[in-house]
Amino acid sequence: MRDDLAIRLSSVGIKFRLSLNEGQPLKERRLEALRQLLARRQGRDFWALRDINLEVRRGEILGIIGGNGAGKSTLLKIIAGIYPATAGQVEVKGAVAPLIELGAAFNPELTGAENIFFAGSIYRIPRRVIRQNFDRIVDFAGLRRFIHSPVKNYSTGMFMRLAFSLVIFFEPDIVLIDEVFAVGDEVFQQKSFEKILSFRERGATLLLVSHDLNLIQNIATRCLVLSQGKISYDGSPEGAVRHYQELILRGEGLGQEERPREGREKISPGSVATGVGAEAGLEIGAGERFLAADRSRRWGDRQVEITSVTFVDERGEAKRVFAPGDYFEARIGYVSRLPEAAEEPVFGVAINTIYKMLLYGPNTLAGEVRGKVREKGVVRFIIPQLPLFAGDYLFSAAVYDQSLSHAYDHHEMMYHFRVSSPERKEFGCVRLAHHWLLE
Amino acid sequence: MLKEIVAFRDLLRNLVIIELKLRYRNNVLGFLWTILNPLFYLLILAIVFSQLLRFNIPHYTIFLLSGLTSWMMLQQTIVIATASIVNNQHLIRKVYIPKILFPLSNVLARYVDHLALTVILFLFMIGLKAHFSWSLLLVAVAILLHFFFTLGLSLLTAVAYIRVRDVQQIVAVLFQALFYLTPIIYSVEALPESLRSLFLLNPFYYFVQVFRYPVYYGTPPPADILTVAFIITVLTFAAGLWLFGRKEKYFVFSLS
Repeated sequence: MRDDLAIRLSSVGIKFRLSLNEGQPLKERRLEALRQLLARRQGRDFWALRDINLEVRRGEILGIIGGNGAGKSTLLKIIAGIYPATAGQVEVKGAVAPLIELGAAFNPELTGAENIFFAGSIYRIPRRVIRQNFDRIVDFAGLRRFIHSPVKNYSTGMFMRLAFSLVIFFEPDIVLIDEVFAVGDEVFQQKSFEKILSFRERGATLLLVSHDLNLIQNIATRCLVLSQGKISYDGSPEGAVRHYQELILRGEGLGQEERPREGREKISPGSVATGVGAEAGLEIGAGERFLAADRSRRWGDRQVEITSVTFVDERGEAKRVFAPGDYFEARIGYVSRLPEAAEEPVFGVAINTIYKMLLYGPNTLAGEVRGKVREKGVVRFIIPQLPLFAGDYLFSAAVYDQSLSHAYDHHEMMYHFRVSSPERKEFGCVRLAHHWLLE
Repeated sequence: MLKEIVAFRDLLRNLVIIELKLRYRNNVLGFLWTILNPLFYLLILAIVFSQLLRFNIPHYTIFLLSGLTSWMMLQQTIVIATASIVNNQHLIRKVYIPKILFPLSNVLARYVDHLALTVILFLFMIGLKAHFSWSLLLVAVAILLHFFFTLGLSLLTAVAYIRVRDVQQIVAVLFQALFYLTPIIYSVEALPESLRSLFLLNPFYYFVQVFRYPVYYGTPPPADILTVAFIITVLTFAAGLWLFGRKEKYFVFSLS
């Protein structure tokens, strides 16, 4: 491998085996399990990734985007060494910090302090280094008071902060990030984010899987689009986002059809492992799996699925930072699997402050709507003049049935945009139409 | 594999410590239970078998306890280490760790217990004024043989358990049966001559004998028994390493 490379994959592919019997009654499944044991090769093979050629130079920030099930997380897991490649060659140079699931290495029974040492040894940080950095890790996480309580008593936020702080002080050469920033409060996110970006100065390489196209455009130096297990674009982040949006419009940005939709969410731990169906199920889009730890952020049965959310200006160019009074548009890509006769789904959005206060939550049932919901397309939510003042805002997008009681796909505060203004003569976060009369 | 174990030695150490530490964390007596548990176990069995069931064996208590100690090393280790991969599936699915660390740490933690048990056995010997001889040093060799044999066997059962979860039940039942098929509470001599050769088919027989000879008889184990135990250990350990090494990459696909 060339000296300037951190990662090289040549013709890498990975094959999962889907078991045929997901969703069958337990009794039949047992018989099936027995048969499979005897017959060995049963079930359909399915390539989650195929023919991946990729060279990542040191110091690159590589974004990876693609629909759910396109193989993004699987790619990271192969690089991390969690999955073996079925075909091809994987070469990785340097210490890898897989932030695929933060806190995965933690043992809930151990205290925070014990976990720092335990998880540290999983990432092969020498004990001496951990001891030297111990106080800084604890302070960065802001957990000094709780560091000697078992982490099972921590809130999700505390848990994540501890996990994150540990990795930050471990100074890895390669960081694999899978939608990490969907968790933690905004202040901590910002703090960690800056820290991670600072890794680049030391020549660290970052791979970042995200559904947040704005984030990718802001920080990545290069971006891949994965589609149906293959690299369908490799180049500039702007080009990648454009390519990805085209894919969505054509309905190709999605994962592979073969994946069983049942058995995705619940995989009974006690059941006989009948092959790899369950594993393929685990290969849910990064965000989703990550959100399993924090389910409150995304839910719904995905009959209509929100595949992307981007913020753009009037020329349609992606943007994350707006000024008060700017044209603001949120583009919500979706795919509908509803039968023809079904009622039209209702799209809604919400804007919250970072303190989680709801500012406004309109939907297509109540507002002025032009156009019709199709099998796939983009919903454009337009505010001609953004009445918000400087600050950070969290954006939710959701699609429900007509009664608004059944969620197809709800992304709760999963997106973030910022409003900045050089000067401030008015106060608050939202501008209310008004005038003054002095008498 | 060895290189990886060395690279992850801190983790191995932590896994062993955690297992020992968490077991009795919420108990008032804490780590003391590691000693108390086997102490009471041996005490109860010693009383039950030496007072109620009277076998015609001199120093029966030492005879029994030496057999039991060996048996605990075999049975407890394997029953627990069989589940080592499955019990750590949450880690295996999310971070890269050499998989051998899980059975290895499990077995090592067990042997910390077993060493405590052996010390207690020696205390019993002192208490019962048993005969001490230099061949007692061979207990160390016996423990090493037990260690590698159980580690190898655990690697095999752990791999099987990933695919078929019934394996743990099967192992547990087998051990219950084997307890009586191995001369632990009785001696080989108690049986009719025609049956004695059947023991030679039971691999556990050799390990119990290797342990019992220096403790109870105060002599080194007969060369043939020691040789067979050694061969079984090498073969089992090699088979375990081979199978485990071949399959470990794919564990992640069978865990859910």
